[in-house]
Amino acid sequence: MVQLPVWTAIAPTVILALTVLLLLVVDSINPDEDSGNLLAVMAVIGTVTSIAVTGWYLLAGTGQPPTDPVLLFADAIVVDGMSLFFTALVGSVVVLIVLASYDYLADHPYQAEYYSLVMLAATGMSLMASANSLATAFVSLELASLPSFALVASLKHNRGSVEAGLKYFLIGALSSAVFAFGISLVFAAGGSLGFADVAAAAADTSLPGVLGLGILFVAGGFAYKTASVPFHFWAPDAYEGAPSPISAFLSSASKAAGFVLLFRVFVEAFPQTAVAGTIDWVLAFQVLAVVTMTVGNFAAATQENVKRMLAYSSVGHAGYVLIAVAALTTDANRSFVLGSGMAHLLVYGFMNTGAFLFIALTEYWDVGRTFEDFNGLAKQAPFACAAMTVFLFSLAGLPFGGGFLSKFYLLMASVNGGVLLLAVALVVNSALSLYYYSRVVRAMWLEEPDGTLEIQGYPTGLYAAIAVAAVMTVLLLPAFGPVAEMANAAASAIV
Amino acid sequence: MAVFDYAPAIAVLPLAAFALALFGGRYLPKRGAIAGIAATGGSLVLSLWMLVTIALGADPHQQTLYTFVAGADGVASVDLSFGIFIDQLSALMLVIVSLISLLVHVFSLGYMNDEGETGLPRYYAGLGLFTFSMLAFVFSDNLLMSFMFFELVGLCSFLLIGFWFRDDAPSSAAKKAFLVTRFGDYFFLIGVVAVFATFGTTAFVGEESFIAMAEHAMPGSEAAVPGVVSDWLGVVGLSASQWFTVVGLLVLGGVIGKSAQFPLHTWLPDAMEGPTPVSALIHAATMVAAGVYLVARMYGFYALSPTALGIIALVGGFTALFAATMALVKQELKQVLAYSTISQYGYMMLALGGGGYVAAVFHLTTHAAFKALLFLGAGSVIIAMHHNENMWDMGGLKDRMPVTYATFLAGSLALAGVFPFAGFWSKDEVLFETLVHGLGSTGGTLLLLGYAFGLLAVVFTALYTFRMVFLTFHGDARTDTAEDPEPVRWNVKLPLAVLGVLATVVGVINLGAVKKIIGESNLFLHEWLFHGAEGLNGEHYEELLHDFAGYTAAELPGGPLAPAAVSLGLALVGVGLAYRLYGGADPDPHMLKLGSVRTTLMNNYYLDEFQVWLAMSVTAPVARVADTFDQGIVDGVVNGISSVSLLSGDRFREIQTGIVTNYAALLTLGLTLLVLVFALAGGWF
Repeated sequence: MVQLPVWTAIAPTVILALTVLLLLVVDSINPDEDSGNLLAVMAVIGTVTSIAVTGWYLLAGTGQPPTDPVLLFADAIVVDGMSLFFTALVGSVVVLIVLASYDYLADHPYQAEYYSLVMLAATGMSLMASANSLATAFVSLELASLPSFALVASLKHNRGSVEAGLKYFLIGALSSAVFAFGISLVFAAGGSLGFADVAAAAADTSLPGVLGLGILFVAGGFAYKTASVPFHFWAPDAYEGAPSPISAFLSSASKAAGFVLLFRVFVEAFPQTAVAGTIDWVLAFQVLAVVTMTVGNFAAATQENVKRMLAYSSVGHAGYVLIAVAALTTDANRSFVLGSGMAHLLVYGFMNTGAFLFIALTEYWDVGRTFEDFNGLAKQAPFACAAMTVFLFSLAGLPFGGGFLSKFYLLMASVNGGVLLLAVALVVNSALSLYYYSRVVRAMWLEEPDGTLEIQGYPTGLYAAIAVAAVMTVLLLPAFGPVAEMANAAASAIV
Repeated sequence: MAVFDYAPAIAVLPLAAFALALFGGRYLPKRGAIAGIAATGGSLVLSLWMLVTIALGADPHQQTLYTFVAGADGVASVDLSFGIFIDQLSALMLVIVSLISLLVHVFSLGYMNDEGETGLPRYYAGLGLFTFSMLAFVFSDNLLMSFMFFELVGLCSFLLIGFWFRDDAPSSAAKKAFLVTRFGDYFFLIGVVAVFATFGTTAFVGEESFIAMAEHAMPGSEAAVPGVVSDWLGVVGLSASQWFTVVGLLVLGGVIGKSAQFPLHTWLPDAMEGPTPVSALIHAATMVAAGVYLVARMYGFYALSPTALGIIALVGGFTALFAATMALVKQELKQVLAYSTISQYGYMMLALGGGGYVAAVFHLTTHAAFKALLFLGAGSVIIAMHHNENMWDMGGLKDRMPVTYATFLAGSLALAGVFPFAGFWSKDEVLFETLVHGLGSTGGTLLLLGYAFGLLAVVFTALYTFRMVFLTFHGDARTDTAEDPEPVRWNVKLPLAVLGVLATVVGVINLGAVKKIIGESNLFLHEWLFHGAEGLNGEHYEELLHDFAGYTAAELPGGPLAPAAVSLGLALVGVGLAYRLYGGADPDPHMLKLGSVRTTLMNNYYLDEFQVWLAMSVTAPVARVADTFDQGIVDGVVNGISSVSLLSGDRFREIQTGIVTNYAALLTLGLTLLVLVFALAGGWF
């Protein structure tokens, strides 16, 4: 077997980047024609190729134990189990998004821009998964963020969309500033940006205060990307205003990318042993996790707008995933705790994307946005409503899909880490979340439709995306064991 | 044995008839009656086959049919299963139940079909399910299965008593029957759980059964105490005999409810609102018999506890007398019979409590025959009288309904306990067993008290029975309907004839009073029940009674003849009295002379009123307090939590103002707060 050159380890990301370029080329050759079909197909092919290569690497053991992680470009980039896991996750979400966008954007004038921005953001996200220095981290985070701002505002004639884009951009700029400032402080304290070097320098820094401040600011940057309190304010507005496929993209893939960077930075660059004298970031994340869960779920409970409810629930889920770092105490089985967070992100990637795509479907039908507007929808679209029911119940943690087991693993992780407060918060918030998720289900299945709603057509692409997401959500219930095992193995390489 | 492979079919056949009548009754000949007759006939044939097989020397048969919860291997696991157990007792009972059920089905042709009732498929479906439940209850091989079918029997009685659900009285009577028996069943259910907790099994049969384990756990038993039992006794902190008494009394709660013993007998007279054939079924073979049968089934358990036995005997004796007094003043034919049923089951309980296992089963058997006969006879009279049940509107029917009269008379003589009818032998056996054990045992006072009650009840029984016979059939016709009653057909007369013969001769299976003359070995029922399964036969029960309950039979100088003569004499006194009072051509309502005593008796000692008062003035206020607690405190906390959640959700929502500068400010504030807290905690400055 031919040994590929070492740099090909980053091929999944490169393929995504090449797809962007190809899309732009096609668009510049053929700018006016309605070529949404071709563009969507190209984007799907590019992403699927990227996923395929990622899958191959995962199976071939590239950068995974027993071999060492593949380090590229003066250690700025790393390819290991965790980066591949998240690249695959991001790719899967992108496929669903592109499939759904094909119908959603049927009359959209800037399709090439839209698809290339999606692919560009995806490139940034997969690069985030592979970042191995704070510089790469910052660049890749911006690479993911900047296209996102434009995507949120891509419905140019929709005031909500534009306003959301602007808010997202402003908060994003502020957060990026905080993040960059944090990086500079960390650099000031240790004189290096590579994760391993930062860790080495942190252990005997003469400026613990500066380092601590830097760490908190860096955490703030991640809190922004993952929509965690107190950097979550952009999320409800942006998710609500954005085209629904983009909401799905941001709340699933973007969040996951933010988390992988957070995991890597805090476990590799700021290990507790090295920063013990400076800051107990596990405690900081415990506070953030509990507050984020509570704020997200409590605010979701009082929404009248389904999409906004999902936006807040997405904030709540960020709180759940934060358990993966908040329970990372010294006594914990660290790879299990971290792996549970990763596994939850994977399951969440499908169920949350699916839920937002269902919203995209209702927007396509123009049924309205409140709970009441969904009344009796199941009579007209039983399949889509059944899929939505699976998504919602899985999000709530009922055994309809993988969400049941992934939440259960998070619960076990909190217990394993000995942080009972997290376990209690998780259970209480999940119980509360059942209340507002089931409101949607009740509206769809039990209530009588009040208007004379006639559904116009059943868009193939959206239906296909929803079906795939539903099937994956359900399949992740029986297949959760191997997935969790893979996540644990990937996590064990870095803890 | 191949024979026993057919045993499940005994119960399944009526179940099939139930399903047929329920789903296709409209299209069946006679609206499901024929299917029911065929099914119960099949059950009867199979039951007889089982009986004969066992009589020819086959061993009792136990077989687990279906385990619906299988315990894990090893530690204290519990298996829940359905199984059948055919031994001398259950085979006998299967024959009784299927025979009575068959005759009731035939009789229903006359009582229901010929009278043009509507809703017949529902009726026959009910009968089928009722028969199925009772048969399955009878051959249950464990207490849990018994409990399930016990409940199903209760449900069926509810359905059938309330058959004419459009009228107020039947539906209310059905509810009452259901609720009152359910009250007793709560105790039974707790008893089942207690048996599970104590023994880890509810099986009736074998060395691993709870009955055998209980015996081994008693102090003075030669076998080792089973570990699970001693562990549990350590938990409850009672001695084996104390705890078994408690468990026995809990199960007895269900028995008292179903067998209509004081104080839970009040449902039974009201249950007369159901169709008369149903009353016959309930009183003779199914519902009411279930309670007594259950005690007989687990007699080995009760035999360990003299306290439980004493209570059973006292309750039984008291009920026998108490119900008989109320029967004296009733004016409606079926009401008299209803109270007589309560009274007669009191005798059976007295026998069980008094150590007369065989006597109880004997009386259960004879009573099934003569009580079914009396009810069907009453049904025949009711048809003739166009559903007027008041005896004072009858009179002189004996010449116009000779078959009914002859058979009813046979049943009445049996009920009154007149030689040589079946009831004489069995009632005498009951009283005799109670007497000898009361005299012979150390703590026999309770038994003697029960005996006194029972003896006194003999006079009353004879009196009310023949008051009924004289008022109904003798003297002059007091109304036009009685002058010209509606004729009844073969389908009424045939069951009457069969039962009339049985009520006359069935006593022959155990001529206890003359055992000195015919010889001990010719007491067929005695012999039959003394050769049951290991540990589940009369012989073993006698040993248990002697060893653990301290029961010893006293030797009477004249043998059983003298007590028999006494009870026969008392019965004849009662009959004579009835003849004096009501034997004339135009009898007077003598009971009116009793004045306020009569009013009390007519009102059933105001027990119904007392129970209503209990429900309204004690239970309802307590329930209201509980409701207030639930609504106010429990729901209040829950609602409070949810409104606090939603309220704080609203607060969180308000933070999100939509103004991006506010976001930036809050974001910065939040970060500053974090920095401050950790800076102070980490001592950065």
